Amino acid sequence: MFWTLSRKVSAALAAILLSTMVLTALFGYHKFHDLMSAQVGSRYSFVVFTIKKNVEDRLSLGLALRQLRQMQDIVEREKVGDANILGIEIYDAKGEILFNTDRGGIGASVAPEWLEPLKGATNHPFALRDEDNLVVGLPLVNTLGKVEGAVVLRYPAAYLENELGDLLAKLAAQWSVVLAVFAVIGVVGALVLFRPVGVKLRAMETALGKVLAEGGEVVPDPGSADPFDARFAEFAAKTREAIDHIKGATDEVERLDRLA
Amino acid sequence: MTLDSSRSLLIRLFTLAFLVLVPPTAILSLVALSDFEQGMIPELDRKAAAVGRDLAAQVERAVGYGIPIDRLVGMDEFFSPVLEANPEIRYLAVTDERGRVLFLKGAEREALEPHYRSADFDLARDGRKASIADYLDLALPVAEGGRRVGQVHVGFDAGYVRGRLMGILYDVGVVAAVSLIVAFEILLFVVFFNVTGPMKAVGHILDQVRRGDFSRVAAVPSQDEVGRFVRALTAALRSVDDLYRRLMAYIEEVKTAHFDKGVVERVGEVEARVNFLYRFATAGSPKPMHERRATDIRLPLFLFVFAEELSRSFMPLYVGELMRPIPGLTPELITAIPIAVFMACIALATPYGGRVAERLGSRRVFLMGMVPALLGYVMTGLAHSVYDLVLWRAATGVGYALVTMACQRYISKAVSSEARTQGLGVFIGAVLTASVCGTAMGGVVAERFGYQSTFLVSAALVMLSGWMVYRLLSGTAEESGDLREPSRGELAGLLRNWRFSFLVLFAAIPSKMALAGFLFFLAPLHLAAAGFELGDIARTVMLYPIAVVLLSPVVARLADRTGWRAGLVAVGGIVGGLGLVAPALLPGIWPVAVGIVALGVSHGLSASPQLSMVPDVCWIECRNIGQTNVLAFVRLLERLGSVAGPLLAAAFVPVWGLSGAIVALGAIVLGMAAVFAVVSGAYGSGPHISAEEVA
Repeated sequence: MFWTLSRKVSAALAAILLSTMVLTALFGYHKFHDLMSAQVGSRYSFVVFTIKKNVEDRLSLGLALRQLRQMQDIVEREKVGDANILGIEIYDAKGEILFNTDRGGIGASVAPEWLEPLKGATNHPFALRDEDNLVVGLPLVNTLGKVEGAVVLRYPAAYLENELGDLLAKLAAQWSVVLAVFAVIGVVGALVLFRPVGVKLRAMETALGKVLAEGGEVVPDPGSADPFDARFAEFAAKTREAIDHIKGATDEVERLDRLA
Repeated sequence: MTLDSSRSLLIRLFTLAFLVLVPPTAILSLVALSDFEQGMIPELDRKAAAVGRDLAAQVERAVGYGIPIDRLVGMDEFFSPVLEANPEIRYLAVTDERGRVLFLKGAEREALEPHYRSADFDLARDGRKASIADYLDLALPVAEGGRRVGQVHVGFDAGYVRGRLMGILYDVGVVAAVSLIVAFEILLFVVFFNVTGPMKAVGHILDQVRRGDFSRVAAVPSQDEVGRFVRALTAALRSVDDLYRRLMAYIEEVKTAHFDKGVVERVGEVEARVNFLYRFATAGSPKPMHERRATDIRLPLFLFVFAEELSRSFMPLYVGELMRPIPGLTPELITAIPIAVFMACIALATPYGGRVAERLGSRRVFLMGMVPALLGYVMTGLAHSVYDLVLWRAATGVGYALVTMACQRYISKAVSSEARTQGLGVFIGAVLTASVCGTAMGGVVAERFGYQSTFLVSAALVMLSGWMVYRLLSGTAEESGDLREPSRGELAGLLRNWRFSFLVLFAAIPSKMALAGFLFFLAPLHLAAAGFELGDIARTVMLYPIAVVLLSPVVARLADRTGWRAGLVAVGGIVGGLGLVAPALLPGIWPVAVGIVALGVSHGLSASPQLSMVPDVCWIECRNIGQTNVLAFVRLLERLGSVAGPLLAAAFVPVWGLSGAIVALGAIVLGMAAVFAVVSGAYGSGPHISAEEVA
């Protein structure tokens, strides 16, 4: 008898508890992840915004984007200031990289999808994904409102996981402990709740067995408010009575049979 | 503890479920919130440092050109875009070397200056962080020629992170509440299926035996304590049955073979006495008693309705995502069509579902209905355009109608006619709780995992409900149907009963019109247009079933006690109508929430009395064609409102906008409710009606 009542209820409670905790953790983490991502993206957008301002100030002096040699130093300085920045690139409207923290990349072309955001609103930051990296960028606009190119900053997509690894490990440990403690409470609670049911049913079963085997009667607990007890006592008595009566009738038929 | 009554056991179990589910969720949420907050602070510090460094560099550049720091101009214009673009930054300030505030935007000077004047600003290049009142202040030095001339201050709202993270608590609250309700449903099922139900069956057997009837035994296949007890009881009954059959065989032998007629006669007397005192099965052994209980089907029904309700709060938004222009149709109408088609399919398939359920039995029809529903959910999630979406929603509607009719039929067969209200309570209870849970969870799941995943969750729930019906109802006997199908003439006669027609036309139809047009269509669109996220939309839409759940039982009792059914229906209609015209009177998005609550109150007030009124206003028809048929006809007619509601609302939107469409729909509902309120005065009370007089 593996699936006793308390085990069934314990299993149901444990399953509900587990689902609740998993969903809670999942939704909580997702929300936190969204907020953190937005915050990190916002910080890097600000860095990009300062570079954009720098470039546009110079463009407003009438210089061409390609001529802004100081920008190479500026982007390199920004990268040095933050170990999580993988690279900063400035490319023109045709997609040619003019300045890059990885100097080897200068002169190469960006992927065609990096030019798509330049067709939209000129002051809106855009976000892209480049393999395992996240990219935030802003279009570069001259004083006439023409898009000259864009500045983009790359940072690792796993940045949050790297930053939050310890925090998540700590939370996972707390989660497991709380789950285990309350699962045990559920199991013990179910055991305590269903024990009287099991005890009562077993007692009734024993009493019935005794009445059927030895005779006598089931005496309902006088303190019990459950009318089921009285009905069961009557059942046992009636069953015993039927057995006795049928046995008596059988004896009588036997006696009559022998009368021949 | 009373063995064949679930009340006390359930109360204790729910208390246990509450203790096991709520505290851990609350503890973990609070701990996680605090940890998340701590986890976000370094990121905010980095942002503050980035902003501060940029501002300090620009101020230093200006000072480097020889402009004294206290004579800088245009600082407000300089600060404004930074504050606007970074909502977590509450203020920006520039102070001189003694901490006197020179320029400040976003906070009160009095709150900051006393602190700045008393602070030591001998700063390192990476600044100094301090907590001032409700702010976190990062001060960065401004230097000129190696001499510190002032500071730039970036102020964060200390509660910003906590405020942003509060959304987690809303989600956790929803998950905890839904878990509790699901726990309630599961425990209800476990207790009824494993304890109360079998013990009720045992109770019937005990009562039969007390009367000397040994013809039946309880059929309880479970392997738990109850199953063991029932087997012991069955063994006792079988042993009596064995003795009896041996006796009868012996008597038969004596009667056939004995030569002494006197003995045969006396043996016959013994036989007659035993058969007079006790009753045994005429077949070879006691007949197993399979008992149907209305609660058997509650959990599968709950899961099935839960599946449908998951998409309730975002269906119009999902349609909007798939929408391509269709010549001759407005975008709003295209959005409304899948909802209207779903409702129309339910309306059309419901009578068929009822008939099929009568012929084939509830279990088979439930499983039949599961197929189009399952296909519908999976394919709705994979839909590429509105055209295929309409098709799959139609399939889902047909499945929904079949399944709900199967459940209604199962419940009506499981309960006696006296306990029909109780049976109806099982059905409505499951539907309403599923509505609360499904709506709330659907929004949260869709927000985190997307629409497609939510439809897949619906499909999984439908499969689970089908599996439960397949496994758990397999042993229950399916009785053949006895429902007479009404003729068209009889249904037309029903419509000629003016009380019935007015009830349907001016109470039932507008009620469903408001539900489908406003709650299912306009409310999600309006809330989304106001910038609400999916989880927030779902939580707002959820107010409707909560209001109904809270109000319905109270009103049902009130209606039964006072008999003021028509009045409650009229008041309900007027409250619903007034709620929908709220956007005309109140500004902003709150009137939508007011409308949702008002609609919940309206339906809480009117739904039960409306159903209870039907036998009153068409007593003769109920007697002639059956109350079940009359109620099914009401259900069919009121679905016209469900179909018309979204289409009507969609037609109003291009003319009056979303708010205007709600008001227009509200005006129609209010007008119809007013007509009903006036006419209901002539209804009279009780089953004394003109149809009876005419008959």
